[in-house]
Amino acid sequence: MAKKQKFPVSRRGFIAGSGVLAAGTMGFPLIGGAQAKSVKVGIIHPVTGFVAFAGSQGRMGATMAVEDINKAGGIKSMGGAKLEPLFGDSQSKVEVGVAEVEKMNEQGVAAYIGCYQSPVGIAASQAASKYGTPFLIDVGASDLIVSRGLKNVFRLKPGFGACVDQGIDLLSSLNKSANNVAKSAVIVHESSEFGTGTAKLLAGKLPGINIAVKEVIAHDNPTRNFDNIALRIRSLQPDLVMMSNYQDEYTLLARTLYQQKVNVAGFFSILGGGFNYKFVQAMPDVSQYMMDVNHWYNPKSAKAQEMKKRVVATGALFTFEVYLAYTVVSLLADALEHAGSADKEKLTAALNASTFVPELMPYGPTKFVNGQNQGGRPGVMQAIKGDILLVAPDDVAEAKAVFPKPKL
Amino acid sequence: MSTRVQILLVIGFAAAVIYPWLVPNYLITVGMLMFFSAFIGQAWNVSGGFAGQTSFGHAVFFGTGAYTSTILQVTHGWNPWLSWAAAMAMGALVGCLIAMLAFRAGLRGSYFALITLAFAEVFRILANSVGFTRGGLGMLIKADARPENLQFRDPVWPYYLAFALCLISLFIAWRLTRSRFGARLIAIRENEDAARALGIDVFAEKVKVLTLSGAMCAAGGTFYAQKYLYVDPTIAFGIDKSVEMLLVTMVGGAGTIFGPLIGAIALTGINEITRWAAGVIPALKNVQPLSLIVYGIMLMLIVARLPDGLMSLFARKARRNA
Repeated sequence: MAKKQKFPVSRRGFIAGSGVLAAGTMGFPLIGGAQAKSVKVGIIHPVTGFVAFAGSQGRMGATMAVEDINKAGGIKSMGGAKLEPLFGDSQSKVEVGVAEVEKMNEQGVAAYIGCYQSPVGIAASQAASKYGTPFLIDVGASDLIVSRGLKNVFRLKPGFGACVDQGIDLLSSLNKSANNVAKSAVIVHESSEFGTGTAKLLAGKLPGINIAVKEVIAHDNPTRNFDNIALRIRSLQPDLVMMSNYQDEYTLLARTLYQQKVNVAGFFSILGGGFNYKFVQAMPDVSQYMMDVNHWYNPKSAKAQEMKKRVVATGALFTFEVYLAYTVVSLLADALEHAGSADKEKLTAALNASTFVPELMPYGPTKFVNGQNQGGRPGVMQAIKGDILLVAPDDVAEAKAVFPKPKL
Repeated sequence: MSTRVQILLVIGFAAAVIYPWLVPNYLITVGMLMFFSAFIGQAWNVSGGFAGQTSFGHAVFFGTGAYTSTILQVTHGWNPWLSWAAAMAMGALVGCLIAMLAFRAGLRGSYFALITLAFAEVFRILANSVGFTRGGLGMLIKADARPENLQFRDPVWPYYLAFALCLISLFIAWRLTRSRFGARLIAIRENEDAARALGIDVFAEKVKVLTLSGAMCAAGGTFYAQKYLYVDPTIAFGIDKSVEMLLVTMVGGAGTIFGPLIGAIALTGINEITRWAAGVIPALKNVQPLSLIVYGIMLMLIVARLPDGLMSLFARKARRNA
C-alpha cells in the first residue's frame, strides 16, 4: 500500500506554486498602477523608536493633507492626478531613513517629505540628492539641513537659528517692560544636534540682552529622572530656566521643576518638544505661565481652527507636527500644480519659485533662499489655565504675555 | 572543509558578486547594510566569540573610528583613505588601552562586559562635551562623491566595499581557527585558568585580540561615517551599535567563522521583509513596530531553541549526515 501523503501537494510543487502566486500578486498592482494616474510621495517619519509619538503625528498630518487634496480633485494641471503616499518608518535611525529613500526611489517617488529628526533628515536628503529628488523638510530644526548647498532640499519652517532670534527679541522686550526682572538664566537642553545647537546660540545671545548664563546643562535622550538637574537649578537660583528638549524629557523636566518648587521669573523654552495641549491639559498647574517659542498654527485662520476641531474629534492632539506635515504636503501639491508635471527638475524649479501661502501657519508667502523659506516665523506661546495662547507675533497674538510669572 | 561546503561557498561568493547587477538600488543598499553588519559583528566575534571576552560596549571602537577619520578629514584636511588607516590605528590603540586597564585589573565575564559599556558611555559623553568633535552638534562630512574621497555616487561601490570588508573579516576568523593564536584564544575562552597553567600568557593574548577587534570595529566606524556623511555622539558611541554587533553574532553563532554573516543575513532579512510586509499588506499597514515584534520573537526563539545560534543548525545536520 502506498504511503499516504500528509499533504496533497509536494514540497517542490508548493514552492513553484507559491512563486507563481507571489509573482502574480506583485505584478498585479503594477498593472493596476498604470491605469490610475498618481504622483507618488515618500513620507518618512520615525513612527517607532523614542520619538515615535511625534513621528506618528507627522504621518497623521501628511495623511490628512493627501486625503484633502485628492478629495478636492487632485493636481488639476496634471489632469486631476492623485497624490499617492508611500509611508516609511525611519525607526529613529539614520541608516534606516536612507534605506527608505532608496526603496521609495525604486518605487518612483516625485518627492520626499520628512524626517522629524535632524540627523535622519540630513542623511536622507543627502541620499535623495543623488537622484535630484526634491526633499521637503516638515520638521527638523538643525540649520545644517539647509546649509550644505543641496539644490533638492526645501524647508518651510524656520530653523533653530530663527527661533532663537525671535525668542531673544521677545524675551528682551518682555524683560524691559518688567523692569529687567530677569538677570540670569540656566539653559537645559537635550544632547543631540537640535538641543545643543539651540543652547549654543542662546548662550551666545543672552548676554547681549543683559541676561547672564549661569550654567548650560545637557541631558541624554531618553532621560527618565530630572531630580538632580532640578536640584542643581534650584541651587543656582536663576531668574529664568530655558529649555530645549523632546516631548517626554520636556514634560518630565517641567514636572520635576514644579515638584522641587524651583521659583523663577519664567520658564522659557525654545522648540520645547513637549509644549502642547496634552501637557497643559494634563498638568495645568505645572504648565501655568510657561512660555515656548515654537511652530504654531495661526489661531486667526478659520481653516486652522476647523482642522484643529477635526484632529481633536479623532481623539488626537493638534501638535505642530500635524499641521507642519499638512502644510508641507499642501506646498508640494501647489508646486506640482505650477510645474504641471512630476518631473523632478520642473518640480524643483517650481519649489524654488513658490509663493505658496500656508494658510494654517502665521507665515507670509513662501520664498526659498538656499532651500530655507524666508516667509516662515515661529510663534511665542504661553500656557494659561490649561490652554495655550499665542502671545507673539502681535498681528496674530491672542493674549498678552504674563511675565514675570507669579511665585509658587 | 567538505567539497559540498566548498561548492556552497563558491556559489555564495558568485551570487554576492553578481547580486548588485541584478537588483534595484534599494536592494543593493540592503545588501550593503547586511555585509556591513556582518563585518562589525565579526569584529565583535573575534574577541567576544573566539576569545570569550563578551563586550557590551564595542561601540567605543566603532565611534573612535568614525570620529578619528571624520576629524582628520574635516578639520585637518586629510585624505579619507589615509584617515581610514589612521582610524584603524586609533581603534587598535583604544582597544589595547582598554584591554590593558581591564585585564590588568583582572576583570572577566560580566565585569569585563560592564566595563566596556562604561567606556562606551564615557566616550559618548566626552564626544558630547569637547570642542573638537563639535559636541552634540555632530560633524558633517562635505558631500563630494568621488572615489578618492571615499564617497561613491553609485551604490554598487559601497556594496562591494562592505563585501570586501566582510570577506577580510571572514579571512581573519578563518585564520583564527587555523593559527596558534586562535587556539590560544579558544583555550582562554574555555578555561582561562587552565590556559594559564598550560603556559599561555593570558593577559598578552587578550590584549592582542581586543587590539585587533578595536581596529576592525574602527574600520566599520569610518565606513559608516563615509556612507552617511554625518556622525554625532549617539550615532557613534550609542548602545545601538554595540547591541547590533552582539546580536548578529549571537543569532548567527558566536565563535564560528560564518556566524556573524548568517546572523546579519537573518536579522537584516527579517527586518526588511517585515517592513515590506507592513507597507504592502493592508492588514499590517498600521502595525508599525511589526518588524520589531518579529525581531523580538525571533530572538526569543533562537535563544530558547538554538542557544548556539543559527550555525548550530548546520552543525546538527553535519552530525546527522556523519
